[in-house]
Amino acid sequence: MNGFSPALCAHIARVREWGRAEVRPAGLEADRNGAPLPADHPYFAKYMGFRSEHLPALDDDAVPEGPAVRMVAFNEENAYWDRGMGVAAPGPGLPSRIVATSGTSDQRERFLGPFRGIDQPRWGSFALTEPGGGSDTAAFRTRATRTDRGYLLSGAKCFIGNAARADWVLVQANLDPEKGRAGQRAFFVEHGNRGMTGIKIEKKMGLRAYESVSFILEDCEVAHENILGGERSALTSWSGAYAKTMGTLNTTRVGVAASAVGMARSAYDEALGFAKASGAIRSARVCDRLEAMSRQLRAAWLMTLRAAWKADGKIPNIVDASMAKVFAAETAQELASAGMEIVGLEAGAGHRLIEKLFRDAKALNIVEGTGQIQRIIMGRSLVGLPR
Amino acid sequence: MDFAQSESDDIIAETIGRFAADQLRPCLREFEAARSVSQAVRERYAALGFEALDLPEDAGGAGLGMVSRIRTNRLLAEADAGAALALDRFAPAVYVIEAFGGIAALKSFAAMLARPDTRFALIMDDGAGTSPGTRGEGEAAWVPAAQADVLVGLGPQGAWALQDGFAFEPVAGAALHAAGASRVRYAGTPIHVWHDPALAAWALAKIRLYYASLIWGVLCDAAGFSRSYALERVAFGKPIAHHQALAFLIVDMHVAVERVGLLIEDAARAVDAGDDRAVSASAAAFIDAVEASRFVGSNSVQILGGHGFMRDFPVEKAMRDARALGLLAGGVDAAREDAGAALTATIPVGVAA
Repeated sequence: MNGFSPALCAHIARVREWGRAEVRPAGLEADRNGAPLPADHPYFAKYMGFRSEHLPALDDDAVPEGPAVRMVAFNEENAYWDRGMGVAAPGPGLPSRIVATSGTSDQRERFLGPFRGIDQPRWGSFALTEPGGGSDTAAFRTRATRTDRGYLLSGAKCFIGNAARADWVLVQANLDPEKGRAGQRAFFVEHGNRGMTGIKIEKKMGLRAYESVSFILEDCEVAHENILGGERSALTSWSGAYAKTMGTLNTTRVGVAASAVGMARSAYDEALGFAKASGAIRSARVCDRLEAMSRQLRAAWLMTLRAAWKADGKIPNIVDASMAKVFAAETAQELASAGMEIVGLEAGAGHRLIEKLFRDAKALNIVEGTGQIQRIIMGRSLVGLPR
Repeated sequence: MDFAQSESDDIIAETIGRFAADQLRPCLREFEAARSVSQAVRERYAALGFEALDLPEDAGGAGLGMVSRIRTNRLLAEADAGAALALDRFAPAVYVIEAFGGIAALKSFAAMLARPDTRFALIMDDGAGTSPGTRGEGEAAWVPAAQADVLVGLGPQGAWALQDGFAFEPVAGAALHAAGASRVRYAGTPIHVWHDPALAAWALAKIRLYYASLIWGVLCDAAGFSRSYALERVAFGKPIAHHQALAFLIVDMHVAVERVGLLIEDAARAVDAGDDRAVSASAAAFIDAVEASRFVGSNSVQILGGHGFMRDFPVEKAMRDARALGLLAGGVDAAREDAGAALTATIPVGVAA
């Protein structure tokens, strides 16, 4: 009883079939290898075919749900099969919305255009986090300096998704540190720029299917036209440009919550399936635990869906989005952990999906604003917690 | 899924909200001490026309369904859960009569339903409906009511209704005093005996949602009151809400209450739609409300510190009321049994449903 329209259900059914047949096996392969699948792995070419032939863009007239609810439905199903492969999916990814809303028409054509109507996989990337600052954007140290030839970027970024294989990385750097956060701007750094060095693909506990990349920017030179929004806008509207970029990021919070719900559902299904097959479900304690997991999962799903529903209805949802993000992420973690207990030593043996989910799920309470940051955001709304 | 309230629910919410704030909240301790709600307030509530909110129209009710009921209960209980129980002369006992006997059974009580002072009470009786034609006999240690004209018993197999042969004996009661508190002894010949486990489960689903929504209201009050207090109370030079330990606790309490509300509304929608998952969803909502009440009730007192422990503030009452409501409808362990039983089939959650 998800209440979705037939068109959206049909769309999600196609994602489910693809997930079962391709995404789950690819994610398990990457996990076993301890590294992302290489960019030329056949999976990615197949993915491009699936996207173009079997997953057409939803027609607004046929699908009454708004874009946020659609995103929630898609992310939840996708992450059910493998969250890491979802992040690894070819495309402009996270920065596409930022470029679409904040980029100049030339930038949209130059950086998003190549992603349209092609059958070869390619990626875009967004670099925000730094070794000395993740959630606290004021602590960022990457600097941009304007020269006659363009901008020189210096600093370091870490945990950047798909950055090593991306055609371009949108890098956040501070052009005027005296202005604090408002001095921050985003710059397109194209693949092969010699100033982007020390590229290292991190070894991770989980979510191994996508690249988390750390790199150094050493006098990394980009052209004047590579500043997001163009010089005329970016150098005049100081507070507006930063707020716009970060505001776009806020909309992704509900999407992360949806992914967490998908992972939580996966953990629940693994635990329930094992409990039924092994007969453990006859134990009242196991049954109680599964009931609690099911209930928490449903609540996380409803919370996430409501946050998206509000976004689509232009109803303020800052608290709802943070609440969904923190609750869904903690649900994924708790259900994966409880699932480990239900599966028991079989989970300890390390060959079960539940063990992978346990390692994967932890990240969801860290990425795009930790659980603590979400509570601070909510605290500001609920009790005026000072900044 | 549509999370919006209907226009009629908006009107109900506005009317009930105003009534609860003006008529119930200021008399919180007065009604508690009197162990009843004043006649004047009862009459004002009856005049609003919400007494038989979820009874079918053919039986003289408004026929508004479970979603309207749980939202009404939430608003009334946010002011005073005991008064909410006192003001409702029919539910949740009539859910049993309606589930088993339908409109015909309700009509057999038509004359009583029409009287302004008739009251129905509900008890849980594991033996109900197991032996048709036998006497209803037993005892319930606590019912949040002072008296009733019809006593309805519900068990997993069926139900019965008694019009005489029972007695209400006042007891101290742990909470919800505005509704009264009685031990009920019964030994009579039922005017109705029903046997149907499926219908019993359906009636119980509505009963669980009824009490869960009262808990929800109490928790809204407890969380909201303690939050307001934390914004006014200053310690170490700033409002205590601005100390992160308390800010995070307040946030987590808010999340817990929202979670409960979402699950209750979700289950109520399933009931109104006649959905198969209504029974397990209602059990889950009840469990969640009870579990949240342990977290939110206790911490609302904690935030007020010593003041919270004192009867000058309403949070100690909220903690007691929420705890006591969770003992009704057969208790939380029975709900766990029912929700757990549904796990033998895959419970649909999210998009894959």
